[in-house]
Amino acid sequence: MPGDFAIETSNLTKIYRSRWRRREVRAVDGISLRVARGTTFGLLGPNGAGKTTFVKLLLSAVLPTEGEARVFGRDVHKPEARRPIGYLPENHRFPTYFTGSGMLDFYAALSGSTAADRKRLIPEMLELVGLERWGAVRIGKYSKGMLQRLGLAQAIIHSPSLLILDEPSDGVDPMGRRHIREILEKLEQKGVTIFINSHLLAEVELFCGEVAILHKGKVALSGKVRDLVAGKGYKLTASQVPEALERVLRARAAAVSVREGLLDLQFTTRDQANEAIDLLRRESCAIESLVHTSSTLEEVFIQTIGGAGSPPLAAPAPQEVTA
Amino acid sequence: MTTTLALIRDTFREAIARKIFWGLFGLSSLMILFFLFVMKIDIVAGATASISLFGFHGHNNTTDVQRLVRGVFGFVATFLYTFGMFLAVFASSGLTPSVLEPGRIELLLSKPVSRWHLLLGRYAGNLLVVLCNTVYLVFGIWLILGWKTGIWSGPFLLAIPTTTFIFAVLLAVVVLIGVLWDSTALSIMITVALMILSPILAQKDTVMKLLSSEWSRRIWLALYYVLPKVHDLGRITLDAIMNRTFDGWMPVWTSALFGAAALGSALWVFSRRSF
Repeated sequence: MPGDFAIETSNLTKIYRSRWRRREVRAVDGISLRVARGTTFGLLGPNGAGKTTFVKLLLSAVLPTEGEARVFGRDVHKPEARRPIGYLPENHRFPTYFTGSGMLDFYAALSGSTAADRKRLIPEMLELVGLERWGAVRIGKYSKGMLQRLGLAQAIIHSPSLLILDEPSDGVDPMGRRHIREILEKLEQKGVTIFINSHLLAEVELFCGEVAILHKGKVALSGKVRDLVAGKGYKLTASQVPEALERVLRARAAAVSVREGLLDLQFTTRDQANEAIDLLRRESCAIESLVHTSSTLEEVFIQTIGGAGSPPLAAPAPQEVTA
Repeated sequence: MTTTLALIRDTFREAIARKIFWGLFGLSSLMILFFLFVMKIDIVAGATASISLFGFHGHNNTTDVQRLVRGVFGFVATFLYTFGMFLAVFASSGLTPSVLEPGRIELLLSKPVSRWHLLLGRYAGNLLVVLCNTVYLVFGIWLILGWKTGIWSGPFLLAIPTTTFIFAVLLAVVVLIGVLWDSTALSIMITVALMILSPILAQKDTVMKLLSSEWSRRIWLALYYVLPKVHDLGRITLDAIMNRTFDGWMPVWTSALFGAAALGSALWVFSRRSF
């Protein structure tokens, strides 16, 4: 149903063509992605994967070559569709002539906040991000971390339902990161959908419920973080497995995938793996390999990017993510 | 309305931070101070007057006071159309490319504001910065000369709308070049070129006699009618101040059409551009 998803893209494509030479770059290549309301979603990918272009497409800062993007069911090209969005850009360049309070006032006014609301919210926001004493100071004097926190304040001052953060921890010290995470956790509890574009995998693994990994403008892998990192344990690969036994094993395994006639099964304990081997041998199936695995999101990422085209174990259906 | 006001205030803030507003204000103040303290007008028997600068009188300088005041107003109006306009274009040319900087434009575009609203808000803010200074300068000089001579010449105040109008036309060009190429330098070059071309193209009657081929005459006339007529608009204001008749409103409406086309093109380019 339209509007059930905070973000919904359909075959979203952006091709950059050089003006004189007829060279083209597919920055985003046919991405169809759904992010359910109230989820925390991480967008990962190596440099040049198309993450920032994808985010800009969601904000209508970049216009698509093909496809469409919707936020809460509305076409993002319509200004009203962007009202529920709060955004913190990567490498932001806030005008240095603003004071902290002045900057919040300006961006909140553009987001549609009334003068009375702004007057009430600005001190609250400054306090929330720990800049209550800096409101009257020109932001040219702020450190990178302070600017990042102020940027977060401008993104949430109008109580958005969808928060899009592009590298939110960039330039922030560990204490600051923790502070930002605490703020985001509170927003998550309030039901705000949080979409994070980050290269800090540990942070995404810690905070996000779902992720998508972009590679060369396409979704190489997507799914729930707990499924993707379910690879800690034992990976058993077998062949010639009868259907009935496959159904039994699927029910017992943490994750399953099929590739080229081989059945990959992921078990979290040694006992589960041994029981599965017993069942397979009883049916005279071939055991191809048994490997002890300890997967983190970083490993999933490297495996995905390193061998793009052959999804790693436990990969759910790519390009479609729902809560 | 909140959004429009926020955009206009932002342009003012930037103009103040870049010393554009105070720079123009300072120059206007200098000119006002010149008329207040340096230029002394002595009225003789109510009908004639003499001007002295820094206490020095010129040769045979007693003249009809009405003519003298009109002459001073004419000088100020000419100053506004030439030097003042150059200054305003130089000062304003960076205000559009600055909002298009990466890291700034994405955030603006993420807000629930249409692109045309963003650009027109900045355009209006920029125009108001120049309007404020023009009102201050023209009104200030009008008050001083009125107080010194007792002659309150209404037509001189026409310099406010006409100066603002021609700046609005030139600013549309600045904005168009800004959204096309993000270049402050190119905005200045093209706009100043239009200003320099204007008095040259306006000599069409003389040039028609000099040009030998029909096509070159047509090109000259086409350029004259299409491009903004800074020179002609200055003349219209001067004629009004001097109580002279002028040829017609063609320079006004053709310049307005050019400005509207330039601004419309800027909005079209801005609405279709990826950042």
